Amino acid sequence: MYRYDEFDARLVHERAEQFRGQVARRLAGELTEDEFKPLRLMNGLYLQLHSYMLRIAIPYGTLNARQLRKLAFIARKFDRGYGHFTTRQNLQLHWARLPDVPDMLLELAEVEMHCLQTSGNCVRNITADPFAGAAADEIEDPRILSEILRQWSTLHPEFSFLPRKFKIAVSGSSADRAAIMVHDIGIEILRNARGEIGYRVFVGGGLGRTPFIGHEIGSFVPKSDILAFLEAVMRVYNESGRRDNIHKARIKILVHQIGIEEMRRRVENEFAEIKKTGVLQLPQTEMTRIAAYFAPPNFATLSPANADFEAAKRDNRDFANWVKTNIHAHKIPGYAIATISLKAIGETPGDCSSDEMDGIADIMDAFGQAEIRVTHEQNLVLPHMREADLFALWQRLAALNLATANYGLVTDIIACPGLDYCDLANARSIPIATAIAKRFADLERQHDLGELKIKISGCINACGHHHVGHIGILGVDRKGVENYQILLGGSGAEDASLGEILGPGFDREGIVDAVENVIDTYKNLRSDSERFLDTYRRVGAQPFKERLYAR
Amino acid sequence: MPQVLTANRLVVGEVVYWNGARGWVPRLQDAEVLADSEAESTLARAAEWVQKREVVAPYLFDVRLEHGVVMPVKVREAIRAAGPTVRLDLGKQSV
Repeated sequence: MYRYDEFDARLVHERAEQFRGQVARRLAGELTEDEFKPLRLMNGLYLQLHSYMLRIAIPYGTLNARQLRKLAFIARKFDRGYGHFTTRQNLQLHWARLPDVPDMLLELAEVEMHCLQTSGNCVRNITADPFAGAAADEIEDPRILSEILRQWSTLHPEFSFLPRKFKIAVSGSSADRAAIMVHDIGIEILRNARGEIGYRVFVGGGLGRTPFIGHEIGSFVPKSDILAFLEAVMRVYNESGRRDNIHKARIKILVHQIGIEEMRRRVENEFAEIKKTGVLQLPQTEMTRIAAYFAPPNFATLSPANADFEAAKRDNRDFANWVKTNIHAHKIPGYAIATISLKAIGETPGDCSSDEMDGIADIMDAFGQAEIRVTHEQNLVLPHMREADLFALWQRLAALNLATANYGLVTDIIACPGLDYCDLANARSIPIATAIAKRFADLERQHDLGELKIKISGCINACGHHHVGHIGILGVDRKGVENYQILLGGSGAEDASLGEILGPGFDREGIVDAVENVIDTYKNLRSDSERFLDTYRRVGAQPFKERLYAR
Repeated sequence: MPQVLTANRLVVGEVVYWNGARGWVPRLQDAEVLADSEAESTLARAAEWVQKREVVAPYLFDVRLEHGVVMPVKVREAIRAAGPTVRLDLGKQSV
């Protein structure tokens, strides 16, 4: 993985010390809260429902064991012994104390981590496919470009005060595991007819109160041009995006208002201007230098068929179930991608205790895993497991209650922190997620239902991605009471679509029954092994509405 | 509707409530319940405590009294007063 150079290292250390000074000035009364608030937000420090919350950036969701242990240490020493992995591949600590934060930043800096640009109207943490470098269907590791973009966008003076925050996601294959279509800029790495690798660029996707699927603005941007092209997009946005209304300030609104054709025209003009200067050409030497950090490990030549692995599946049904859902094809024969579900039945989606983090770091060491990945679906991924080690891995994960076999199933639910933690939320998300998970805890039932993605947000800001859930749930405040709307038909994958509200919402007690009702309708309507999403797309909302609201 | 004045302590971020006699207190049940007529003026006076760097982000919220117990009208304030409903070992409810 990428290692800091002297500039990176100096930057994060200086930033921690700078914030120490800012905190001291705030506590001494030299800075007012109005003066201090933007400074703390620039360091990822929010004031949330119960306390301060520190949001830690995990660039493209990649961590090594040392970093994971450091996160465990920080959560244990300075917080309440756990963290919450988010849909932006970040980690949030919900109980920080202001005087501790400079020390927390310094601890992070020691392992090449930080909280830069986890808030504010700037380019946020670049996210990427968690199967990067391992997926059988990958064209190129998306973290190479993600790291180049991280360096380009970090403290970029022109893009530090955009009209609104800006989120970029990169996928290394046509299968979208990074939700690129619902980002301000989404990038798909692809190969053209001549065999050259380049970038397909989407713009104007996003969720929140006005959701949009991104539009293609570059069908094949050559590698050397990508920074110039993205700078052109950002410059058009920075110049033309609205600053008078926070709810209309994202690039998706600009694209919607002027239209993708006009956006394309403006970007092409700007791109041509930037190209004239020639300064933003990405040199091959630099790409090669960055790519070397993401060189794959030395894979052994293994037999694709491992007799012990097959026997373990045959002899242990629980293990076989876990393999069925949580193991994905690796590009190298004899290897596998293993997803660690952070969705044990009844537990908070995405939460991970310090003890669990330490335990996972030990597992990484034991199985020679240099990296772990955080997914936007709030799980973790060990990217390069030998198939022959999977049974031992599963046993060790099971001992930590981390071997839940539910990746992509109905209990693998995305949930934002919601009203249990978030200052912006209108309703709780987590208890709804845990109640649904308990209702569908039976694994045979889950497997029978197949891929079914439920995503829950506690407010219209949509951190829980409810618009792109096969079943989305949006919590709202109705006269002081939590109420939950159901949306159907969304997808955050390569077949991206926005869910549609089915009808009137339900109270806390009713929402789980309502979800079960919808799922029962699907079971009655599906043909063969048809996914929930495909059944919905085939039959539309009406049969679901009729049954749900017939009561 | 009666109201309670709340804020967060600047240093530790803890949720606190205003009590005219005791100052900022950690428990909702110890908060002073303010009549409509005095709520806004009490909020205005909170600026002094912000200035003194004791608290940040003060605001008023609606409550009702049930058998002498202060009950927030909105679930948000009930959760804020107690702690996360999914982690009963955290927040004020854990003490």
